[in-house]
This record gives sequence, structure tokens and C-alpha cells, in this order.
Amino acid sequence: MTAAAAPALKMQRRSLYPGWFYLPAAVVYSVLFLAPTFASLYFSLTRWTLFDATFIGFDNFAQFFREPFLIQGLVNTVIYAVVTSGLKVVIGMALAVMLTSQIMARGYLRSVIFFPVLVSTIGVGMTFTVLMHPTQGMINQALALFGIAGPGWLVDPKLALFSVALVDVWKGVGLATVIYIAGLVAIPKDYYEAARIDGATRLQNFIYVTLPLSRPATATVITLSFIGGLRTFDLIWAMTKGGPGFASDTVASVIYKQYQAGFYGLSTAGNVVLFILIAVLVVPLTMFLNRKQGHE
Amino acid sequence: MAGLELKNIQKTYGKVEVIKGVDLDIEDGEFVVFVGPSGCGKSTLLRMIAGLEDITGGELYIGDKLCNDVEPRDRSIAMVFQSYALYPHMTVYDNVGFGLKLAKTPKDVRDQKIREAARILKMEHLLDRKPGQLSGGQRQRVAIGRAIVRQPEVFLFDEPLSNLDAALRVDTRMEIAKLHADLGATMIYVTHDQVEAMTLADKIVVLDAGVVQQVGSPIELYQRPQNRFVAGFIGSPKMNFVEVAVEAIGPDAITVGSKDVASLRVPAATAGISVGDTLTLGIRPHDLSPANTGAIVGRVAIVERLGNETIVNIELASGTAWLAVLDGDQALRIGESLALAAEPAKAILFDAAGKALLPTPA
Amino acid sequence: MRSRGSIIGGVAAIAATFVVFVIPFLFIILMAFKDKQQSALRDFSWPNGFHLWDNLYEVVKTRNWMMITAFINSSLITVVSVTLLIVLAAMVGFVLARRKTRWNGLIEFLILAGLMIPPAVVPTIWLLQGLKLFGTLHGMILIQVAYNLPFSIILYRAFIATIPRELDEAAVIDGARPLDVFFRIILPLLWPVTVTNIVVQSVGIFNDFTNPLYYLPGNQNATVQLTLYNFQSQFSTAYNLLFTNIMLITIPPLIVFMFFNRQIVAGMTAGAVKG
Repeated sequence: MTAAAAPALKMQRRSLYPGWFYLPAAVVYSVLFLAPTFASLYFSLTRWTLFDATFIGFDNFAQFFREPFLIQGLVNTVIYAVVTSGLKVVIGMALAVMLTSQIMARGYLRSVIFFPVLVSTIGVGMTFTVLMHPTQGMINQALALFGIAGPGWLVDPKLALFSVALVDVWKGVGLATVIYIAGLVAIPKDYYEAARIDGATRLQNFIYVTLPLSRPATATVITLSFIGGLRTFDLIWAMTKGGPGFASDTVASVIYKQYQAGFYGLSTAGNVVLFILIAVLVVPLTMFLNRKQGHE
Repeated sequence: MAGLELKNIQKTYGKVEVIKGVDLDIEDGEFVVFVGPSGCGKSTLLRMIAGLEDITGGELYIGDKLCNDVEPRDRSIAMVFQSYALYPHMTVYDNVGFGLKLAKTPKDVRDQKIREAARILKMEHLLDRKPGQLSGGQRQRVAIGRAIVRQPEVFLFDEPLSNLDAALRVDTRMEIAKLHADLGATMIYVTHDQVEAMTLADKIVVLDAGVVQQVGSPIELYQRPQNRFVAGFIGSPKMNFVEVAVEAIGPDAITVGSKDVASLRVPAATAGISVGDTLTLGIRPHDLSPANTGAIVGRVAIVERLGNETIVNIELASGTAWLAVLDGDQALRIGESLALAAEPAKAILFDAAGKALLPTPA
Repeated sequence: MRSRGSIIGGVAAIAATFVVFVIPFLFIILMAFKDKQQSALRDFSWPNGFHLWDNLYEVVKTRNWMMITAFINSSLITVVSVTLLIVLAAMVGFVLARRKTRWNGLIEFLILAGLMIPPAVVPTIWLLQGLKLFGTLHGMILIQVAYNLPFSIILYRAFIATIPRELDEAAVIDGARPLDVFFRIILPLLWPVTVTNIVVQSVGIFNDFTNPLYYLPGNQNATVQLTLYNFQSQFSTAYNLLFTNIMLITIPPLIVFMFFNRQIVAGMTAGAVKG
């Protein structure tokens, strides 16, 4: 009769949405993702052989910021992420505008641009390594037909990182394009019609309607490709292995190299550095992008 | 078959009290309608009976069984939802048979029951379709079919007609009434529409703010509402109210008046009332009729001529707006003065707390 | 009303995308048809003679038919981890979308973290060794599940939020237990997202190189991506074989693309936009 008796009884009835549904996923995720992530915070402070770890404080991190080739990896990572995400935004947007217009062969264009997204990164990397060969590669052979002496795409230390970034854009711009297409299609036609009645030109249409209203898509493309760029490993590994020298090393390739060399503590410190780098760059970035979004 | 008994049923979400102690007896085979404005707690009460909401306090008996902590499937209830909630990926046949399948009813028995339900609801031709291919009315039938196939002792309806258009609503209402007559099961029906409540119910439960305002038969609620809320909620168009002063207290009647109403002697309970008190007078629009010597005089503001009756919006001297439904076609001009007579026996007085001063029945 | 300008624009677009996006694939195919001498030139020329079958045979039988093992391994990893992903992610998405508790904020944070944070590889290896899962297919499968859960959960949660709760309640009244509600009502209704999930995650896991590189050392459990990587040095002078291999591993995504183009695009954009 009294309310006090009810809670005890209520325990017997099961929820329709049982909490244990979280359990299998939580176990797998915690053991294989969260636990190593937390463990990395400790092991990054050690000299580590997998069998025993000696605590050495911040030595690994100090080394990271002392060795020129490690610093270069850090700088390269940021350059790579900025270049790839910037190009994906610009090219993806342009392609999406083109593909949402009354252009012919839209289906063909869309498929052709998107397909590389699904192809093995390693395969793409190896193919372009061959295509980008300074003398035997098809790209420079084709340029030679026009009398242009093509650069040493992957062998020139100043160029290698950007060459890999270009291939990354080639492979990933299709995803940026479809995200933009989804964003552009969602813009109500009324805005364009209103702008047309106001006498807007096509360029003004793009600047005052398309650009601001596709900002959510831009935010998505930037966030996705920026995180992807910071974490990139496979394409770089397939094409240059960080070379020539350390010219195209990124934090992710450094992590792998240190791991191969048996410097497990240093490798793990690299992981923590990458983690912090992503947190420091991506969190403010997404906050910035989303705040802008909120204004609309 | 089973009746229900609710003893001091309460529901709170955190600190918010939604149901504040409901006591209710529902007889076996009765058709009970919970009615009230939105947010009054009627759906919550129904969902507590169904077992979809936990009961915070009090006791719920279905039949003789205490059901507070019984799973919905063991309460021998079935429910028809507002949105019908048909399973989109199953055919009508499987929708109706899902409960039986879960109860591991043998296939031949199941088939027979599904077809029987389909026959009762005249939807045999729909059995192979998916809900997406049905009209609103057909979905409604399937939802009811899903309920009757389980042969529950209590049917629960949660605003089942609110998604249908007006014409279909009247038809379906009649079918539900017929279903009740045929099956003889206990039915509890939630609606915010007092017309549905009046036409379907054996017993209406009027709820407001989580409290039962009155329980009774439709006519009882219409003729003898216990408070101003029930008087205003039941009946369409709504009852007119105006403040009046007590002029005289006679045996079993009170004479009231104001600048809107010339002295009117209304049969009422007189206990605790003294001359000079302010009361509220309630008169239903249908109980007003034009009369040159009428007690109520106002200015015609809006006239709606429907042919068989005329709905007049009048403004009383105090500025209060009243509605009168007059028989036949009345050619009235806007702005003209209109005198109306009221039958005193049908007028009701309410005290300052809103409680009706009903006369003791003869 | 198609103007001359837009026709020229269209033709130019087709030509440009052909050069940029199609020619590299044609190059792969042409190389796969060539013999060793001609492929060494690495130019865009018509094959002298038909050598595809020889090349295929050569690639497949290299290192004791390793390609076959690799395809089996990759398929196993993909099929099992995608199956697990679907069930686990749908369960989480279901409860997460339906039940509001004070834990929801933390869970959503962990999901976002999983999308952003790079896995800590060496500690993971150390842990897998401790669990005796390092270098095994089981370990690889669990890793793929753990790493890809957040994306699948996001896809599912967004979709489940669109399924009316009254369906769950109707099922409960019909006598369904929580598992019945999930497996008989919710999961079947999730089919469109499930297809998206299957397609997107299969492609991702099949193409994954980094994780097998770390967690599946040795030839015995190699995946197709690892095999290609390992063959690179072996085929360094035999470009015909290298490109035959590349073509071979491009075929599965091509098939998926041809059949599920729409779902892939829908899934990738939906997941991206909501994430």
C-alpha cells in the first residue's frame, strides 16, 4: 500500500532494454582498445622489452623532441593532414557541385570518382609508386611527351611527402565528394530560387547560398580527413617507407619503425604523442567547426 | 473474465507526481473510459495497468491477482496503441499471430485463432499483406485483431481513433462498441475526446492533473457533475459559466443574480451558503432558449446557422462570452440584444472551490 | 536546354576523370596481361600476347600457394568480424537509443574516442601475447571488432531512434521477452542499416593492412594485403606478377561496388555526417 514497499518489489521486473546488451561490446572494446590505450600512458614512460619495463620518466618524450628525424615526423604529419584535408575539401566541393549540376554522364563520373575509396590502399600505393618512377614511370613519360621534365616524385626529399599526399587525395576525394553531394542535395531549392529572383549570378549563388549552407558537410570532410591524415600509415609505408631518408616519415611510420627496431617504449611514446596531437588539433577544430554551424 | 481494482495507485517520475493516488473499481465486462485533457495522466494510468510503466505506489489487482510486479504477458491483457504499432516486417497474419507464436501455441490452433479473428473483423482478404500496404482503417483493424486473438480478459485502448479521419472514426467507434457487446470482455479506453467517452462508456473516469475528478455513467456525469472541471469537460459545446451572488436561500434552492442574470431560483444544496456569497452559475448551451422575459440578456456577437439549429455567441453585460444552441433556424442580427431563458432545474451552482451544489435527487 | 558550353564542360569532365581515375586501373589490367619483359617497361602499351592465365597461376602458386591461404584468412577474418560487429553494435545501439541513463554521456564519449584515438599498438601486442591471441586469427578478429565498433554503433543508433518505441511495447504486451523484442522485432527492422554495415565494414576490414601488419606476423596467417606487401620484394623485377596480384585483390571490392554502390555511399555519408 505504501510507496516505500514498492522499490524493493520493483527490482524483480526486468527492463525491456537490458543493460547487459552493452556487455559483449564493452568487454571487447575495453580489453582490446581501452586497456592498451591506458597502458600506453605508463609504458611510454619506460624502456620496455615486452617482458620487463624500466621506468625512465619522460626520456622517451624528450628523445622525441630532440632527435631531428622524429621532429620531422611530427611536422610531416601535420603538413600531410593539412594538405590532404585542404585538397579534399576544395576538390571534393568542386566535384560535388559539378555532379549535382545538369552534367552528362553523372553516374559514370560519380562511380569513377568514388571507386578508389574502396580499393586496397596498399595496391594503390604500389601502383602509384610505379607510375611515379622518375624515369620509367608513366606520369613522367606522359609529361615528357609535352616536353616537360617531370620531377622525381618520390625520390626528391622535398617532394616525396606531397606526392604521397596527392595519391591520398586521389584515393580519398571520392568520399569527400559523396559527403558534399549529400550536403548539397539537402539544401532546399527555395534558397536558389529566392536568390535568382533577387538577381544573383551563378557565382553569387555559390558564394552566398551553397558555401554557407554546405558548412556541415565541410565540417565533416575536414574532421574525417584531418583525423585520417594524422593517422596515415599504410599509404606512406607502401610508397616510400618514410624515405628518402626521413623525408616522408610521419608519427605513425615512426611508431612502426621504432617497434620494428625493438624500441617498444619509444614506439609507445610515439603513440601517446600522436594521441595528444590528435586531441590538441582535432578537438578545437571540431569545436570551431560546430560553433560556426550553430550560428546558422 | 476479470474485473480490476486500483488501490491508491501512484506514479512519480523523480519528484514529479503524475498520478496522485487513484482508487477505482472496474467490474468484469465493463467498458470504462479514462478521459481528460492531455497531460492529465490517463495514458500513464493505462500503461501502468498494461505493465509498461512501473507502479510507484499502491496496488493493482486484475481479477483477484496482485499485478504490480507481474510481467505484461502474465496479466491477461491486450492493448491497442494509438499508432497501432504493427510490426512493419511481418504480414497481417504474422502480426496477429505473433503473441500466440511467443506463447508457443501449436501451429494449427494458432492458424484457427488467427482466421477466426480475421473473420470477426472482416479482414480475411488482408492476411497476406504487410502493414505498409494498408489504409489507416485497415491497420486499426489489424491492431484490434492482434488484441482479440489472444483472448485477453482485459482490453486496453490508448486513443485508438485519434489517427483516423472523422468519418472513419465514427464507424470504428461503433465497431468497437459492437465488439464489446459481442466479446463481453472488460475494456479500458483512453481518450481526450468526450464524445467518444460519452458514446462508448458504461463508466467514465474523468481525470485531471493526476487526480480522479469523478467516476460515473455518461448521463450521470452530464447531468450531475460533481465539480466545475467535470461540468466543463463533459458536454459539447462546453457549459457556460458566470459569477453570481446569492440573493436568497430557500428550501432546497438558492436564488442567485448578477448584472448578467436576473434573479434565478436554482435547485441546490444549501448547506454552508449564506446570502451575499459569490457562486458560479453553469448552464449548458442547449438549455437556453429565446424568451422575451428571459433572465439572461446579452448582445449577439456571432451567429452560426446550421439549419436544424443555430449556435449563437452572446456577450453578457459583464463581458463574459456565452454560447447558446437554439432549436431551428433563427434569423439573428449581429449586435442585436437577445434575451434567453434558462430552465432552472438544469442549471448548476458551484461554490468558490468549484464543487457542485447538487440538490439531493428526488 | 543544354548549351554548347555545358556539353564541352561535360566532355572535358569525362576526359579529365578518365585520365585521372580510369587510366591507373587500365594500367593495372594491361600490366596483368603482359609478360615479364614487356611489363618491365612499365608503359601504357597493348600487351604482346595474352599472359593473364600464366601470370595468375604464377602469383597464386608463389610461396606454396600462399595466395589461397591468404584469401581464406582474409575472408574468415572479414566474415566473422563483420558478423560479430553487427550483433554487438546493434545491441549497443538499441539500448543506447532506447534507454536514457546517466551513463549515456560516457558511452557516447567512448564511441567518439574510438573513432578518433589511434590504437596503442605495442601495448596491444603485449596484451594479445598475454591472452595468447597474438598472431592468431581469433585475435585479429577481436581487434577488428573492437576498432570498428564505434562506427557501426553510430550507424545503428541513428536508425533505431527512428523506430517507434510503441513497437517494443506492443511486442511486450504480446508476450515478448527482451531478447524476443531485440531479435524478432528490432533486428529484422534494421536490415537496411545492416546491409550498409556489412558492405562498408567488409570493404574496410578486407582492405586493412596496418592491423594485420602489427598483429598477424608470419606467413601462416597472412592476409591478402599482407601477401601483396610481402610479394612486393619478391616480384620487384616481375611487374606483370605484381600487378596481377593488385588486380586480384581489387576484384572483391569491385564486385561489392557493383552490387551495393548505393548502400556504401549512403552508409559512408550517414556515418560521417552523424559522427
